[in-house]
Amino acid sequence: MKKRLLVLLLSVLLFAGCAPKFQRLKQYDATFLTLFDTVTTIMGHAQSEEEFREQAQAVHDALLQYHELFDIYHSYEGMNNLKTVNDQAGIAPVVVDQKIIDLLTDCQDYETLTEGRVNVAMGSVLRLWHEARTRGLDDPRSAALPRKEALEAGKAHMALSSLVIDREASTVYLTDPEASLDVGAVAKGWALERVAAQSPAGLLISVGGNVRATGPKDDANTPWVIGVQDPKGVESYLHTLYLTQGSVVTSGDYQRTFTVDGVAYHHIIDPDTAYPSRLWSSVTISCEDSGLADALSTALFLLPQEEGQKLLDKTGAKAMWVAVDGTISYSPGFNEMIRT
Amino acid sequence: MGKNQSLSFQKGDFLAIILVVALALMVALLFLPGSGSKQGTMVQIYQNGVLTEELPLSQDRKMELSGAYHCTVTVKDGKVAITDSDCPGEDCVHTGWIQSPGRSIVCIPNRVEVRVTGGSDVDFVVG
Repeated sequence: MKKRLLVLLLSVLLFAGCAPKFQRLKQYDATFLTLFDTVTTIMGHAQSEEEFREQAQAVHDALLQYHELFDIYHSYEGMNNLKTVNDQAGIAPVVVDQKIIDLLTDCQDYETLTEGRVNVAMGSVLRLWHEARTRGLDDPRSAALPRKEALEAGKAHMALSSLVIDREASTVYLTDPEASLDVGAVAKGWALERVAAQSPAGLLISVGGNVRATGPKDDANTPWVIGVQDPKGVESYLHTLYLTQGSVVTSGDYQRTFTVDGVAYHHIIDPDTAYPSRLWSSVTISCEDSGLADALSTALFLLPQEEGQKLLDKTGAKAMWVAVDGTISYSPGFNEMIRT
Repeated sequence: MGKNQSLSFQKGDFLAIILVVALALMVALLFLPGSGSKQGTMVQIYQNGVLTEELPLSQDRKMELSGAYHCTVTVKDGKVAITDSDCPGEDCVHTGWIQSPGRSIVCIPNRVEVRVTGGSDVDFVVG
C-alpha cells in the first residue's frame, strides 16, 4: 500500500509541477512596415487585444516622429529634417527639432568613442553604395560597384568636424558643401531607446533587428528569448539568448547585400577603405542602451577583436563575434545571457 | 495482507511506475532547452500589418497576393518563400526559402510580411 501511495504522490507532484501557471494576460504582437525602411515588431502582454493595440500604436507613432526627422531621402511638410540639413550644406544653418540636436550630439560622442569607426558624416560615400545596391537589385545583370574614383572623392568630404551644432540657436550646419549626413548606423537604435524609455514595461520592440526589452515578459519575471541567426545557415540559430531588460543587436555581412560578379557586397562600409569590411561575418552586441548598442555593433564589426574589447570595457557592453570561417568568440559576461 | 505481499511489486505498481517515468521523460523533453524543433509549423501572412492568412507549413500551396504590387507566396516541403513579385528591388524574393520560427520575409513596398511561427519558444530572431 505504501508503494502505491508513493506512486500516487509522485504523479500528483509531477502534474502539479507542469500545470500551467494561471495567466490572465495574453501575448500579442504587431508589425509595422512604415518605419526606417525596415520591419518594426512589437510584442507584449495585455488583458485584451485592444489594450495591446493601443500600446503598439503609441510606440509606432513615437517612432514615426524620429523616422521623419532622421530621413535623408524625403521631405515632410512643415518640418526641417536631416534631408534639409544635407540640402543646406555649405549654405546655411538649419533650425531643427531638439531630437535632431540630441541625436547628432550623441553621434559626436560615438565618433570620439569609436575613433571614427562610427561616423554619421559619411553620407558622400554611403550614398554611392546605396545607389549601386539599388541599381544592382533592380537589374542584377547590370550590377556594378561604385567607381573607385567616386569613392575616393567622397572620402575627402566625410570629416565629422564639418558638423556644427548650435544648441543655443537650435541649429545644425554642415560647413562642407560636399558633405552629407547619413545616420543609418545609429538612428534606429537611438530612436528606439528614446521611445522604449517612455513605453510601458514588458514590451519587446524590434526596429530592423535592433531589439529592446522594457522588462520581463510577465509578472512571473519570464525573460524574452532571442534567437541569434547563424550567418552561414540562415535557417538555424547560433544561440538563443535571455533578455529581460536592455538591448541586443546584430550586424552581419549577409544583411542588405547585392551581388556583383558572384561576390556579395554588404552595407557596413569601412571609413578607411570606403568598401564593405571583410573582418567578421557577424557581431552581436548587448547592453542597456539600444543607441549605444547600434553604434557598437557597427564599430566592432569594423575592428579586430582586441580593439573591440577595449570599447566594451569602456562601455560595459558584451559581444559575440562570428569570424568569416565560422569561429565564435565571446566577450567576458556574454555567456550569462546564453540560454542554448 | 501478508508481510511478503506488501513488500513485493504488484503488476499495477509496475505499470504506474512506467507511466510516471514515461510522463516525466515527455515533460522533460518538452522543457529541455534547445530540444525544441527548429522548424516552424505555421505560416502567417500580414498585409498592411493585419493578419490576413494563416496556413500550415506542412501543406504545399501557392497564393497570389495583390496590393500595391503583385506577389506569389509559395509553401513547399515545409518551407515558404515569396517566389515572385513585381515590386521594385525584389528584396522579398531574394530572401529565399525560410522555415525557422521567428523568421520572416518582408516586402516593404508591398507592405507584406510572411512569418513562420510555432514549434519554438523563441520570441524574436536577430541577425
